This record gives sequence, structure tokens and C-alpha cells, in this order.
Amino acid sequence: MFLRILRKDLIKRKATNLIVLLFVILAAMFVGGGLNNVLTVLNGTDYYLDKGGVGDYIIITMGRNALGSLDEMLKTEPSIKEYRLDNVVYASQDGIKKQDGSAVTTKNVPLLQSQMTSTFHFYNENNEDPAPLLPGHCYIAGDFIKKNDIKIGDTIFISQEDISVPLIVDGKIKDALLGSTFMGNTRFLLHEDDFQKFASDADIIEKYSGQICCIDTIDHDVKGVEDAVANCSNVAFNKPRSVIGTAYVMDMIVAFIVLILSVCLIILAFVVLKVSLSFTITKEFREIGVLKAIGIRNIKIRTLYLIKYLVIAIVGSVIGFLLSIPLSDLLLRSVSENMVLGNSLGIWINVLGAVIVVIAIVLMAYLSTRKVKKATPVDAIRTGQTGERFSKKSKLHLSKQNAGTSAFLAVNDTVSNPKRYIAIVIAFCLCTLFVLMLVNTTNTMRSDALISTFCAKADLYMNNVKDAMELMGGDFDKTDAFFAQKEQKLQELNMPGKMGVEYQYGYSVTANGKTSKLICEYGYKTDYGSYTFTKGTRPENRNEIAITEALADKIDVRIGDTVTIDFGSEKLDCIITAYYQSFNQLGEIIRLHPSAPVDNRYCTSVMAFQVTFDDHPSNKVISERKKILEKEYPKYEVFTTSEYVADCIQVVPTMEAVQYLLLAITLIVVALVTILMELSFLADEKSQIALLKAIGFKNGRIYGWHVIRFGIVAFAACLLAALLSIPMTKLCISPIFGMMGVNKITYAYKPLELFLLYPGAVLLMTLIVAYFTSLTSKSIHSYDTANIE
Amino acid sequence: MTKVLQIKDLCKTYVVEKRQNNVLKNVSFDVDDGEMVGIMGPSGSGKSTLLYSVSGMDRATSGQVLLEGKDITTLSEKELASVRLDDMGFIFQQMFMMKNLTIMDNILLPAIECSKSAETRKDKVARCEELMRKLGIIEIAGNDINEVSGGQLQRACICRSMVNNPKILFADEPTGALNRQSSAEVMDEICKLNQEGTTVLMVTHDAKVASRCSRVLYIADGNIRSEYRTPEGLSDRDRERALNNWLLELGW
Repeated sequence: MFLRILRKDLIKRKATNLIVLLFVILAAMFVGGGLNNVLTVLNGTDYYLDKGGVGDYIIITMGRNALGSLDEMLKTEPSIKEYRLDNVVYASQDGIKKQDGSAVTTKNVPLLQSQMTSTFHFYNENNEDPAPLLPGHCYIAGDFIKKNDIKIGDTIFISQEDISVPLIVDGKIKDALLGSTFMGNTRFLLHEDDFQKFASDADIIEKYSGQICCIDTIDHDVKGVEDAVANCSNVAFNKPRSVIGTAYVMDMIVAFIVLILSVCLIILAFVVLKVSLSFTITKEFREIGVLKAIGIRNIKIRTLYLIKYLVIAIVGSVIGFLLSIPLSDLLLRSVSENMVLGNSLGIWINVLGAVIVVIAIVLMAYLSTRKVKKATPVDAIRTGQTGERFSKKSKLHLSKQNAGTSAFLAVNDTVSNPKRYIAIVIAFCLCTLFVLMLVNTTNTMRSDALISTFCAKADLYMNNVKDAMELMGGDFDKTDAFFAQKEQKLQELNMPGKMGVEYQYGYSVTANGKTSKLICEYGYKTDYGSYTFTKGTRPENRNEIAITEALADKIDVRIGDTVTIDFGSEKLDCIITAYYQSFNQLGEIIRLHPSAPVDNRYCTSVMAFQVTFDDHPSNKVISERKKILEKEYPKYEVFTTSEYVADCIQVVPTMEAVQYLLLAITLIVVALVTILMELSFLADEKSQIALLKAIGFKNGRIYGWHVIRFGIVAFAACLLAALLSIPMTKLCISPIFGMMGVNKITYAYKPLELFLLYPGAVLLMTLIVAYFTSLTSKSIHSYDTANIE
Repeated sequence: MTKVLQIKDLCKTYVVEKRQNNVLKNVSFDVDDGEMVGIMGPSGSGKSTLLYSVSGMDRATSGQVLLEGKDITTLSEKELASVRLDDMGFIFQQMFMMKNLTIMDNILLPAIECSKSAETRKDKVARCEELMRKLGIIEIAGNDINEVSGGQLQRACICRSMVNNPKILFADEPTGALNRQSSAEVMDEICKLNQEGTTVLMVTHDAKVASRCSRVLYIADGNIRSEYRTPEGLSDRDRERALNNWLLELGW
């Protein structure tokens, strides 16, 4: 008999059951997809570094001189368990040409390596092993292919000294060691024959050879190696695996955002599910009353409903599980183009998610059916209400308002019974909040505010790896001559200005009796006043330095302490006078005073050339001058301040893509919630709609009532989200920047986007969907007043 | 006397699973201005269907319904809604009200929606208050609908039905959900409105209620089987007795 009742119920209450089913599908989809993301993201970097074959410590050397001291260290350091050495050849930006002979741009120095002898593991775009290369073919890591508009199958030409090799590009590869946003060196994988053409040339070996050393230590303790590497020469890069992992922080930001989104969507799905369940149980009190009146026991009535929701939960969860597989793929794929993310449990996580949803729904249904126990047959027959049929208290009075009937009904409904709309407000607010937090983060990453975490403030930044490399080896007379030439050109172009540049040096720094190889940054002819310091006073003398808090913690020094820096030409005891924030060198770096005795022999990199115009031009004029310089210097990349920040962070385009994906998901969720809640309202208010129609209200008025009501709720949710987005962005995003050593961020809030554009999109979607869903009220007729119980 | 309502050959057929169910079969009758007509009949005879078809709430399958000479069966949904708002009043068995509004606002709602007169909102509020005073519910004007008795609520429904000065008042079992005393009070109010000139067409299965109508139509199997004119000058008890006798003859 119960099965017959159940079957009839499923058919009779088609709309309500469909609503619950849809939310079960949503919940299962997001729980499955979300859980998969949680595990994938939490283990993301470690998983990728393991897959890519990155050991406990990495040393990259430059030039042949390095070999002796590195070999000795590798043989003598007792903490080393095993190590691998990969030979590489450094190329130059100018030595790489596209098919049509045009130049390419690279962020840092490119590396050439043989695919066959590489001890690292690379992946293609489908996260599979790349096919073995044929002679004359190559793979390229990072965003080089995209940035230079190269297509698969195109030929590029790589030249070094007198050797030039044409190579067909077979595709992009993912490079765990060098592929992160902050490492940014492009690795070219070549066939062994092609690589040997470079590696067997004596001149190239002398000037451009290098090695990547991957060390595994005993008990993963890298302290011994860190100390020992201070004695190695020509070390271009030396970092433990943990620091290499943090280089993926920008990629992980995106992954974490997806993770938070998944968690929120899970909460959202359950909130709406709980509302739907309570709603359907309340609606079925008449049946419950009848069953009780004829003597059916509570437990049997509850079992009836539990079986019904179990059926819905199983059907919904199976569909949700199937949909969660492409969803988790889609979310992860969009998260990172640079990483291989995954977890060893695969789709079993999605299965677990679906099972959790089934259990949660049956549990919620069980809790919701507690009302059955409390109700007497009489109460139940009175649709669950005791005493009179209605218990609402009106807050507004039509006689005292000038509003139209639709607007009045809508406003009065929302203020009289706000509890009814809480689920929608929470749902819309959460969705909008995440979009806005992401918008704030992306805008901040594109804003001038972050420039002080990279270099000094200037009007324009010009980047050319070849010129930068030439300055690396020369003295400051060479730099002065280079600047004079550029400043002369600026004068000729009628936009006089000054040039400056940021150098980075690798020096041995001794603190607390321990010597480490550390990177120090030094602004040559830059605007020293534009550097910001978070604590202490800025260095004013040649023996004063500022240090990032991350590095200070690492080498255990504080403001007022003295460290000894070996500048090459002299050793100087330097006092730490201030802390500052920097994204450079993964947040572990020292800032030197402009009069510090730097020596360009120890220079490890040169950042973009800075142009500061004499006439303090407006942003509009700067943009015009940027175009002129781009035309004048076609081999240079020219950036405004905000563009340069975005270029340094690199992850901005991915963030923007995720932002739009999130907005799309938000709009879909908003649309679904609106449809389902509006259908619930229509079912709940059938008698009132029929009454209004019976007394002569036109359909338009009914649509207006429902649409305005959703508009009010969506407006309140969006306003709340916009206001919350400011503290929530600080609260949630700052710790991620903090991981990079930048704790104090000035966020860029754009009021137009925050309060109008994105909330406006959510509001508009709500109104459109609410309008089209409210059209179904057309099927409620005035004569339905005769059929309503 | 002017005919407010003329029903000509009205048919209503429901098709359920390819089976035709002819609920109304060529029903014809007139209602004069100021008349109070009752419709009686056994359950399933088509009383409510007739009321809803005549009032334009439901579409008739064929036939004509002329309200002051204008055929409302040819009107669009929008035009029908306007007719219901401006020219008709409705009282239902269940005292349907808007949940979140006070008694006053429920009555005022159709008045605000109606634009047939150039009255200001203040005038409309005054008219509502006057109506409520007349029906003895002015003291509950600010109450929520859960704070009043069934009888008071039904009187509020009568006020709502009368607020736009309709040409005809339709009532579907107006006392069906009320106790004996409340029923009498509600019927007193409806009769008073009728005496003041409001035309009433009412469905009921209560002979006591029907006996207060000037004319009663008996419907069975979708047809009007008989018509009864209530004799004048009789006491309430005799009117009821006479009606019961007529109903007994019809097999009631």
C-alpha cells in the first residue's frame, strides 16, 4: 500500500519533487566536484612537484666555472642522499626567431635541454607524457607559445654563437621546476642530436653552459646543503623544494578560490535543500493528518516520507555524480594551465560525495519529519498550523502608502516575513561575494599599488632581455652610457625623462655566524623615495639595509641587527634599519642603499628599465607616450605601471578567466535558485494568486508582484555582498599574499564594478529569470479558488 | 425590469482522458437588476461550474453570457479581468485573503487596482471605512486576518466584493464554512446589500439561505430543472418551509 501511496505522491507532486530532485543533483554535483577539488588543491603543489621529479633542493648554475665547486660540494656534503645533474645551454632572447624571422619575447633567460637526458618529468597539455621528439622538433614550456603567437607545427630558429638550428614546435609542455609564475624561465626540450649541436661547441660550453642539480637529502633536511651551497660559485638559483612550491602561490590562489567556491556551493545546495524539504513536508500535512486520523503510527508515516526522499536522493545523486565528473575537470582545467593537478583517488571522491549527499538528505528528511511526531491529526489537517490558519503580521499599510499594488505586495511580503527569504539572500550573497572578492583581487593585481613590492615607481617600464643581459656583465659606466642614449631619444621625442633600473645581486651574507647565498636588490637611478617600508626607517647610508620579514625570520635577524655582506670588492657590516615587502625572490630578499658598494660581477638579474618623465604627465599622456616608445623600440615590451605589475604577477589572465567562469557559475546558480524558489512560492501562493485573479487582477500585476519581490531580495543580497566584499577580501586573500611575504596590501576597490557592474548582472539575471518563471502563474486560474483546499 | 445578466445556451464540457463530461448543457436564464437569485442542486450537478462560467472566471465551451447586454464570453483574459474588477464582486465559501495584509488592506486592494473612477486614494480609504462601518467590522480594520473570527472574515470578504460598487455580486456557498449564528449575520448583510439595489447570484445547498432569495433555480445533470419564486409576505420560517416542499418535490 505504501508503495502505491509513494508512487502516487511522486506523480501528484511532480513540481515539488522535481524541485527537490534538482537540488539533490546540484548538491551531489558540487559536493563531488568540490571534494575532488579540495583534495586536489590541498595536495596540489606537492603532487605536481612529485610528478615533475623535483627533489628536496635545486641548484642551477651558469657557466663552466661552477662545475668544480658544485661537484665538490655534492661529493662531500654528508646530508645529501642522492642527486641528479641535467646539462643545459642558456639561449638568448635575440637568438630565437619565429618562422617569419620576427623576434620573440621571453621573460627570463631561456634554457635548452635534451629530452632524452633530462631527469625531470614533463607533461603535455593533456597531462600525459609528451611523445619522444624527432630530430628537428622541440617542445616549449610555459606561456612562451601563447605569448609569441606561435602555432603547433611552426618552425622557430634558435641560434647561439655560430650555431643555428631550425626546430618545429610540437607543443607545449608543463615544467614543474621552471614553469611557475615566479620562476618564469622558458625551457626548450630538444632532441639529443639537436641539443648536442649546441652542447658540443667549445665556445658555447665556455660561456653558456649550465647545470640543474636536483638533490634529495637525508630526512628531507636541507639545512646542510643550504650552508654548503654558499661556497659554490656561479650559482644562479638555489632554493629548497618548499620555496619552489610557494612559487606556485599565484596558481594556487586560483585553485583555492575554486575550492572556496565549491565549499560555498555545497553549503548553498544544502541550505536550499533544507528549505525545499521543510516546505514539502509542511505542504503534506493534510495527507499526514489523514494517515494519523486512520490510525497509522508516526514511525510508519515517517518511513513513508523517508523512502520517498531516499528514492529522490539516490536518483539525484547518481545524476549529480555523473555531472560532477566533467565539472571537476572543468574547474581544475581552468585553474591552472601550468600545473598537473590531480589526486590518486580519482572519481572515487565523486562517488563519496554522492553518498554523502544521499546520507545528508535522508538525515535532513528525518529531521524535517520530526514535525509529524508533534502534530495531532487535527493540527495536521489544519496544514500544520494551530489555531487560526494564518500567523503572519503585516508590517506596512496600503492605506498609508502611495505605491502601486504589485510593489506594495512585494515590499510588504518581504518585510512581513523576512525569514522566508533568508535562504535566497544567503545564496545570492555568497555567490556575489565570491565574484566580488575575485574582482577585488584581480583589480589589486592590476593596480599601481603593488608596484612597490617589485620595484620603484616610474611612469613606464621597458623590457628587453638582451639589453638587460648586456648590462648584467658591465660596469655602471656602461649603464650610464645606455641611459644617456635612451634619455637623448626621449628628449628628441619631446618627452624628456630619466632612466633607472633595478639590479639583483647574489651575495654571501653572514648573520649569526652563518653564511648564506642571498639575493639583494638595488635601484640604480630609480626613485628611492617611492620604496615603501613596513617597519623601521629606510636605509640612509651605504652600510644600512632593509630586509623582508620572511627572510629576517629565516636567517633569524631583526631590525637593529648587523649582518655582513660580501660585496666582492669589500665586506661590509650592514645594519638592518627596516622591514619591507617584496614579491621578488619569493619574498626572501634584501634592499640595499643606492650608495652600497655593489659589483656587477655578482649581478643575477636586471629588471625592466624604468622611465620617469620630467613633466609629471597624466595617465592619458603616459599611454600616448607608451605607444610612441613601442613604435620607436619594437624589440622592447613597454608597460604602464599597472601593466608591469600584471606582467610580473603573470597569473592575472588566468584570474580573469576564473573570474568570468565564476560569474557564469554564479549567474547559473542564481538562475536555478530563482527558478526553484519562485516555483515554491507559486505553489505556496496558489490560493492568493487565484484570489487576486478572481477579483480582477491582471496577470501583469501578478508577475510584477513576484518579480519586484525577487528584485528586493536580490538587491539586498547584492548590497550586502558588495559591503562584505571589502573586509572579506582582506580577510581571505591577504593570507595568500602573506605566504609570499607581502602582508600589507593596499587593495584596489573599483566602486563602479563593486556596487554596479557585477551586482547589477546578478540583479538583472534574477529579474529576468523571476519574470519568465512567474509566467507560469498564468496556469493558475481564478476558478482555482474552487479547487484549493 | 432591466436584465443585468442573460445566459443563453451555456455549455461547459470537460475532457478527461479522452472522455467528454458535459457539466452544463444548454443552460439559459436571466437575472434582473436588483434580484437575488439562488442556485441549488445536488453535489456534482454543476452549480459552481455555472457560477464560475457566468462570472467569467472560467470559459464556457459554448453559449453566451451577456452582462448588461455585452457578451463577456468573447472577451480576452485581460478584458475579463477588468470586468471582474470593475463590475463584479465575489464571495467564496473559503474566506480567501492575502496572508500578509490587514483586513483593511485586503478590502482596499481591489479599490486601489480599480481605475474606473477618478477617486484619490484618500477617498478610496474613506469608502472602505464606510463599508466596514456598515458591516460592523470597522474595529478590526487594522487586525491581521488571523486575529478575527470566521464570521468577521466573511464580512470582510463581502466588503472587499462591494468595494468597487459592482453591478452584480456572485457568492459561492458564502455561509458554507460558518456556524449558524455567523451564517445568519452574513446572510443579513447580503440581503441588506440586495435591498439597497445590489444584484446577487448565489450558489448554496442550504435551504435556509436559499429561502432568502427572491428566486431559486434548481440545477441537476447540467440543466436547470425547475425555477422557484419565493412568495412575498411570508415569515422566514414559512419561506423556508415552502422552499423545502418544492425541493422535496424535486427529489432533493
